Amino acid sequence: MPNFHLQVVSMDGLDFDGEVEKILLRTIDGDVEILARHTDYCTAIGMGTARVTMADGTERKAACIGGMLSVMKGEVKVFPTTWEWSEDIDIARAKAAKARAEERLKDQMLDKEARVRAEAKLYRALVRIGSSDHGQDHQ
Amino acid sequence: MAGSMKAVKLRIKSVQSTMQITKAMQLVAASKLRKAKEKADNSKPYLESMLATLTDIATENTEFQSIFTQVSEDNDRWLYVVIAGDRGLAGGYNSNLFKFVEQEIKDKTNVTVLPIGKKSVEFFKHRNVPILTEEYAEVAKMTISDCFQVSKLICGSYGGGGFGHVFLCYTNFVSMLSQVPTATSLLPLSDLSTGERVSDGKPRDLILYEPDSETVFNAIVPEYLAGILYTSINISYASELAARRTAMEAATDNAEEMIETLSLYYNRARQASITQEITEIVAGAEN
Repeated sequence: MPNFHLQVVSMDGLDFDGEVEKILLRTIDGDVEILARHTDYCTAIGMGTARVTMADGTERKAACIGGMLSVMKGEVKVFPTTWEWSEDIDIARAKAAKARAEERLKDQMLDKEARVRAEAKLYRALVRIGSSDHGQDHQ
Repeated sequence: MAGSMKAVKLRIKSVQSTMQITKAMQLVAASKLRKAKEKADNSKPYLESMLATLTDIATENTEFQSIFTQVSEDNDRWLYVVIAGDRGLAGGYNSNLFKFVEQEIKDKTNVTVLPIGKKSVEFFKHRNVPILTEEYAEVAKMTISDCFQVSKLICGSYGGGGFGHVFLCYTNFVSMLSQVPTATSLLPLSDLSTGERVSDGKPRDLILYEPDSETVFNAIVPEYLAGILYTSINISYASELAARRTAMEAATDNAEEMIETLSLYYNRARQASITQEITEIVAGAEN
């Protein structure tokens, strides 16, 4: 399979720079997989697990939340708000965040805004847990 | 003489212990500063590419429309996001920023602020300026997801019956010795839509936007704003540390000078009292 150059630039700096075979991630419009020689393309990223297949065929997972994906003249750039490789994810923290969000959502008196916020937190925690080494993908 | 000598000795001790504290604060600020500066620099490429994409979308599409780029002249409701510190002892860091903001909002009638940082909340509460939310009173604890909430709050209350202009005030890090309060416009993103496409004779690149360019644009704007907020908070934090370092350095120097003058005085007094004692003894022996 032909390879292409991928850069992942998040708010915390450069997370990845190198040759890869394919990248699959969740956009606001559903899952998208980019292969080499893709047409110029731009979309906004949703929340989900990103799978990057390296040039040597190994696959790495990452929790990828928010931001933008752009393909320009064969150069693929991902600008996620947060990008965490599966091995860097702090599972204990994600689980604690999940428990906290679930606890908040139990409150029947919660106003709409706070509910939306807690749901977003819960979703992010689930994405993190799902993207970690042992987790199942969160669908 | 003996009484005043004791007082001077005590004073030297107290100045010395103050100096220890200011010296420690200076060292702590200096070591934290490097990290903070790095963090602020790291998020720059992200912002630059976001802005480039937004500009591309806005200029390539002739019939492009978004509420985030429309300038509404008749809407005179202003929102100021003011990023200050949590603590004092940083020289003029907080007060310079507040003076600057006061100048900015002086001749605007309908101003609301969104203070970030404890000092900022206290200041605007004291001045009775309407506050949007007091939730972000701890600037040191602002995470990326907090910035998102702020950004969503701003985007949600912008346009329609809400705010017509959103400004961000923070302290820009110019150098180790100079930090300048700055205001930038967050919304509307007016400089994007006015930018005419430069025709260089080449056919333009066709980019596929999914689901469509407007949706992508409107989805990216809050992320872009959150990015700006996060970066500005990091820059402000670096400025705060630099200001604190400079202030504490000056305080340590002052303390050193004070100790020097006081010890000189103390030694003179000690010498004088010894001389006097000798004179008294000699006078006694002669009699």
